Amino acid sequence: MRRALVALLAVACVALVVGYQVTRPEQAAGKPRVFVPSASFFEDFSPAFRTSIADAYYLYLVQYYGEHIKTDQRLDSVPDLVTLITDLSPRFVKAYQFGTFALLDAGEPGAAYELLKRGAEANRDDYHVPALAGFLVYAFGQGEDKLQIAADWYARAAAVEGAPAYLGRLAATLTAKGGEREKAALMWAQVYADGDKYSREKAVAALDELLPADPAERAAGLAALREAMPAERFDMLRDDLGVGG
Amino acid sequence: MTQVAAIALNTFRETVRDRVLTVIALFALLMIVAGLWLGSISLEQGGRMMKDFGLVAVTAFGVIIAAFIAATLVRKEVEKRTVFVLFSKPVSRGGFVVGKFLGLAATLGVVVGGMGLFLFLMTLAVGGGASGMVLVATALIYLQVLTVVAVVVFFSTITSAILSSMLGLGVFVAGQLSHNVLSLSRIGAGAVTEAASWVVFVLIPNFSAVDVKAAAVGEQTVDWGAVALWGVYLVAYMTVALIGAAFVMRRKEF
Repeated sequence: MRRALVALLAVACVALVVGYQVTRPEQAAGKPRVFVPSASFFEDFSPAFRTSIADAYYLYLVQYYGEHIKTDQRLDSVPDLVTLITDLSPRFVKAYQFGTFALLDAGEPGAAYELLKRGAEANRDDYHVPALAGFLVYAFGQGEDKLQIAADWYARAAAVEGAPAYLGRLAATLTAKGGEREKAALMWAQVYADGDKYSREKAVAALDELLPADPAERAAGLAALREAMPAERFDMLRDDLGVGG
Repeated sequence: MTQVAAIALNTFRETVRDRVLTVIALFALLMIVAGLWLGSISLEQGGRMMKDFGLVAVTAFGVIIAAFIAATLVRKEVEKRTVFVLFSKPVSRGGFVVGKFLGLAATLGVVVGGMGLFLFLMTLAVGGGASGMVLVATALIYLQVLTVVAVVVFFSTITSAILSSMLGLGVFVAGQLSHNVLSLSRIGAGAVTEAASWVVFVLIPNFSAVDVKAAAVGEQTVDWGAVALWGVYLVAYMTVALIGAAFVMRRKEF
């Protein structure tokens, strides 16, 4: 009898705990402007943990971006968060890559370019950052010399030891005449090749628009992108675009 | 020498069987595994997240274990009065302190080393470019943990176990901020404040001089000279703390 009562009490309490949690209203998106301390604050108070703090804020940035891009589209604190993370961990290449697209979505292409310039300086042995800077200038830059500036960034990326050969070809393609859609497709293909999940999603959406709708022409257009990325990424892209092999 | 080794071996056996130790170590391993989940929400940065947060977990749990077990090492012997039996034999008080320290150092070597090796294997499995730097970082965390042990052993000779633990944890936190104390000493609020800040700066172990965690995640290259010098500094610091503990023990009446 006593055991049965205890068991009943336990079941009732478990039901209460689970019930309380599952019936709570879904949390609304947090405030778009959040407090972001300066990097020097953390460098002063916990210099031995600065990369861990950068990683924690990087995870927060991913969550913040995902939450606001799906709801109110307000990304007010993205610039501060990206600056904090890259100041604390200047060699965190993925933070520059994700930060660039987050800043573009926040309507801050200028800040994105400045971020990549800082990133390229801090990571001279890495080709991802200058390659992304080349793309950014090509896709969002203005002025007559933007193609030359973009090509210079790709050339800089290609000059890094271990950089894939297609970066050099992209630099040459940019300064060649004509074929603007093909050029754009090549640049987005490079973003797809180097990017994270979010960048790849954006690249797939852009390529979906840039490539012809006719299946045969689409397959031919896609085949031209093969040289802009490693073979396994090309297969992934083909699957993402739903083009048969 | 053989007495010190016997005390160390006995302490190792005693502490390694401690259930609290097992529970904390298991919890630390769980935290490292939780890095897998962090990796899954980090946009393909699982390896970096696991290394970075894993090393933080190794540090945190290593220091917690050190602070709470080291505090009871000497006090337990005194409170249980087993210290009388020990000192009735040809065992010096300094030898007793050193033996206790070495025994716990061996236990922590197993625990911290085990956590570091587990983290290394996990990063290898996750494919985040497991580097030997994880093991080097673990070795340096071990040195920090041993320094906390030495400090806690010293405090445990003059105060209660719980207060020793708290002071040990406080010294660890203060050690992360020691450079700020130096900045305070330069503010120039007065000669006495400056002198006091300088003394505190020298007394607190400098735990933030070298950050190998950053090297483990590819953030910076390691200045091996600085690492070696820092290692020697920490060994010297714990030696001073143990000499202090032995000195206090010598003056105690049992």
